[in-house]
Amino acid sequence: MEQFDAIVIGAGHNGLTAAAVLAGKGKRVLVLERSTSLGGMMATGTLNGVQLPRLAHLLYNLNPVVVRDLGLKLDAKPVPTVALSEDGRHVVMDGAEVRFADGTAHPDAAAFVTLYQRLVRFGTLLGQLAQAAPPDLSGSLSLAQAGELGALARLGLRLRLMGKAEMREFLRIVLSNAQDLILDELADGPLAGALAADAVRGAWAGPSAPGTVFSLIYRLAQGGGAALPSGGMDAVVSAFVKAAEARGATIRTGAAVQRIVVEGDRVTGVELADGSRVSSAMVLSTAGAAQSMMLAGHGSYDIEAVRRLRNFRTKGTAAKVNLVLSGAPKFSGLSREQASGRLLIARSVRAVERAFNPVKYGEASKAPVIEAVVPTLTVPDASGKHVVSAVVQYVPYAPDGGWTDTARQTVIDQVVAALDRFAPGLAAMVTASELLTPADIESETGAPGGHWHHGEMSFDQLLSVRPANGLAHYGFGPAGLYLAGAAAHPGGDVTGAPGRNAALKALKEMAA
Amino acid sequence: MGRHDRYDAIIAGAGHNGLTTACYLAKAGLKVLVVEKNDWIGGAAVSRSLHPGWTYSNCSYVCSLLRREIVRDLELPRFGLQVIPYEGGATFTSDGDYFAYYSDHDALRREIARHEPRDVDAYDRFSQTVMRQCRFIRPFLLRTAPDPVRMRPRDISELAYLVRKVHGLGAREIGETLRFWTMSIGDFLDEHFENDLIKAHLAGSGIIGTGLGVYSPGSAYVLLHHYMGDVDGTIGAWGFARGGMGSISRALGLAFEEAGGTIVTGSGIDKFLTRGGKVTGVALENGDTYEAPVVASNMDVKRTFLKHTDRDDLPGDFLRAVERFKIRGSSGKLNIALDRLPEFPAAPAGAPFLRGDMHCSTSLAELERAYDDWKDGRWSQSPYFDMLIPSQIDPTMAPPGSHMMTVFVQYAPYDLEVDGVRDAANWTEERRRAFADCVLDKMSAACPDIKERVQHVEIRSPLELETEVGLTEGNIFQGELTFDQLLFNRPVPGYADYRSPIRGLYLVGSSAHPGGGVMAAPGANAAREILIDLGRRSGLPAEAA
Repeated sequence: MEQFDAIVIGAGHNGLTAAAVLAGKGKRVLVLERSTSLGGMMATGTLNGVQLPRLAHLLYNLNPVVVRDLGLKLDAKPVPTVALSEDGRHVVMDGAEVRFADGTAHPDAAAFVTLYQRLVRFGTLLGQLAQAAPPDLSGSLSLAQAGELGALARLGLRLRLMGKAEMREFLRIVLSNAQDLILDELADGPLAGALAADAVRGAWAGPSAPGTVFSLIYRLAQGGGAALPSGGMDAVVSAFVKAAEARGATIRTGAAVQRIVVEGDRVTGVELADGSRVSSAMVLSTAGAAQSMMLAGHGSYDIEAVRRLRNFRTKGTAAKVNLVLSGAPKFSGLSREQASGRLLIARSVRAVERAFNPVKYGEASKAPVIEAVVPTLTVPDASGKHVVSAVVQYVPYAPDGGWTDTARQTVIDQVVAALDRFAPGLAAMVTASELLTPADIESETGAPGGHWHHGEMSFDQLLSVRPANGLAHYGFGPAGLYLAGAAAHPGGDVTGAPGRNAALKALKEMAA
Repeated sequence: MGRHDRYDAIIAGAGHNGLTTACYLAKAGLKVLVVEKNDWIGGAAVSRSLHPGWTYSNCSYVCSLLRREIVRDLELPRFGLQVIPYEGGATFTSDGDYFAYYSDHDALRREIARHEPRDVDAYDRFSQTVMRQCRFIRPFLLRTAPDPVRMRPRDISELAYLVRKVHGLGAREIGETLRFWTMSIGDFLDEHFENDLIKAHLAGSGIIGTGLGVYSPGSAYVLLHHYMGDVDGTIGAWGFARGGMGSISRALGLAFEEAGGTIVTGSGIDKFLTRGGKVTGVALENGDTYEAPVVASNMDVKRTFLKHTDRDDLPGDFLRAVERFKIRGSSGKLNIALDRLPEFPAAPAGAPFLRGDMHCSTSLAELERAYDDWKDGRWSQSPYFDMLIPSQIDPTMAPPGSHMMTVFVQYAPYDLEVDGVRDAANWTEERRRAFADCVLDKMSAACPDIKERVQHVEIRSPLELETEVGLTEGNIFQGELTFDQLLFNRPVPGYADYRSPIRGLYLVGSSAHPGGGVMAAPGANAAREILIDLGRRSGLPAEAA
């Protein structure tokens, strides 16, 4: 039987990061990927012969510590965000600068910048929590053995150093809802709507839900800017793969793990779908929390852990629509530079909230919130064709009546119609289209419920209780098993942080 | 002019909190005046006779949260306060069944098993968690929230108390508490129960009085605001104040007067008078003025500082924080005089749950949809309601053989949207009636003859709650109970210690920590702070500096 020091299940960014970190310490690492492509949610797809980002299409939140540790060489171009407006007065957000697309001043620009910069400051502060395991609440109160509670104390100190007013504001808003925060400062409209849409991206929540400010802050942990990697998401995947392979990790695709082998109270390896086994005293799983538990067998968990993991909320609400166009779309009122940015259709905070309502009852939004990118405007496709990559919210995992062809086509038609309103003629240029519903995303990437973050990023599922109270420190049931995907702290987005933190934890325990 | 023009302290508003503050101050030997805009006292804890022979608890309607320390300190039973517990409740389905909630544990287990055997043990886990959270939070209700930013010696000692209490829970329970405080009541119930009807019955306590839906994070915490009280030591029990909720205010008023206090009704505050950043007294709408070095406002934070205080006396940051304070009205009320007890065909004759709280919302989705309506400025097309017939237990509420029914209804917006315009003025008489009909129609599922039984109905939208009681936007808690407005954030960051930027002016109503409900804790806590500033003692917990 083959033997490795560590096996990583899943070759998404977290799995590859974990592999690179472990291999970097001289461990023999095997990465097992169920599908035939690498990168998980970052994987590139093809539609009608044209390459396009199958799911994730932008980089936001890649953790700088991961970039440093892995020595990732990424060339990514920051792109502006454009909030599309029904009246043609589109708003362009470029870093901290906000203007109408025609260059005129936006009345809320100053208020927006003040708010945004404050959120970025808070994001940077909280981002420091993402670089290590979440605080261990069992720490003693005595200063001598403050242990990991010290992390919270340090956070408190840094917060205090921001000044009284800032600290008060942080403590007021941190668990609050995005709607009130935004509308206390800005008039409702596309600019406010854009911020609201970012607060609920991928979430089973509308902007009026308490806790959405925290998700917004989380998204802004690395400054908030979106970047389009040159070479597409493919280049990002390659960079991660290279980092792992250069350190000696072995990566195998088409290798589905059907069981994590547990003997006694210890992991001894994995069993693949073909029945073959690979032995290792350490397994890091980037599958969902409940899925990882099932791989190891629920017999390895106490009944409370089983119940908690089954209750971990993973209701995906974001679908992906990819379009191939026969020519370049022309967005009225936008320059080519602006049109190649991140385009948001979120008319207002209220519209985002309204879009959320139907999904609660198993229906798709009739006026969905859309984040679209036309990557071919930046890097042209050799065929001269263009692609639109759109994240569509809110779309249910299992609509009433199921995902019939009609139900699928309705979603695509709505997205095309919505885009066509801003880029007249776009609908006529569509030569191919595809929809990935949350259910499709689940079957393709293994993300439970099709949830982009492998589990709702609401406060009751974050930090020391992610994915469940008592299972938040990467160690996951039987000795030698670690949870290393987005279901673990600090959660979703292409950050690599859960993978890195889990690998460090595993190394520490291996050494002990 | 009043009997006296100078007092040691003036309380603006004779709600239960204002009266509580007044009692503590008077008992400490101060000469105290309470001024009240209405011709009666009690604020939202009143018993009113609006139809001959019937008495309505026309705002708050049941009692549990009133802190027993306060009841004891002020000897309220001696002044006629008697709380009679009621047992159980029920949610009726539209197809002739019901889920009954019994305070008898075995009966409850049998009833749960009738609907879903798997939920029997789940209920025990659920109630243990809720009870643990209640026991955890109760000691904080009568303490002043520490200010984590200023860190004066008192803040440090209160923070240390908090950290010790939290740490004492142990890692597992801290995690549970963190989750419980931040999750939604819907998710919390989904984690425990299978049966939708049972979930719907239990969910009401997570949304009553708030602008949250059952799936809004933070609504599980609101549940505590309905479970952390007690009747005669039974935590979580609710009861009727004999003679209506006004009996609480009456007892407080009598206790206050016995301690030498004076109450003046019939004229509201026009202005808090100040000189050099210090309060000097109050000017009433009728032209009277009273002077005092201490003035305590029982009004909500918005009304106090935006309507009755000179803006120039307040720092800009504070004003702005008060302006953005969230105080959305979300509920209405029907008070109904019944000629006799309506029929509940689903219920066995004499069922004890008919004497408790009854509902007709049968799923979490139905409750969530009710919330969606409210978000869009409509009253819920299929509203949640909490209906009780207290006259079955307290015969003083209605003529013999007749009954009084109190129906709390959620959701109803303050600024009703009509033709795209949101405005409280849209609550016309016609729409108020339509609102009541909507409730009575739904209620017919439980008691088909309800409309024939109705002799008189008082319809209260959030607008009436504002105009009559003075609660801004008709919010029953004087401000949303979300984390941005709880503990050290309540009412606004930096002013959670009942004090204000104006020296001598205190906030004693539910806008202050720990918030709404007929609890009297804000009033008592504020009294302690006032007496600390005066160098006196209140006898309340957490007095040491």
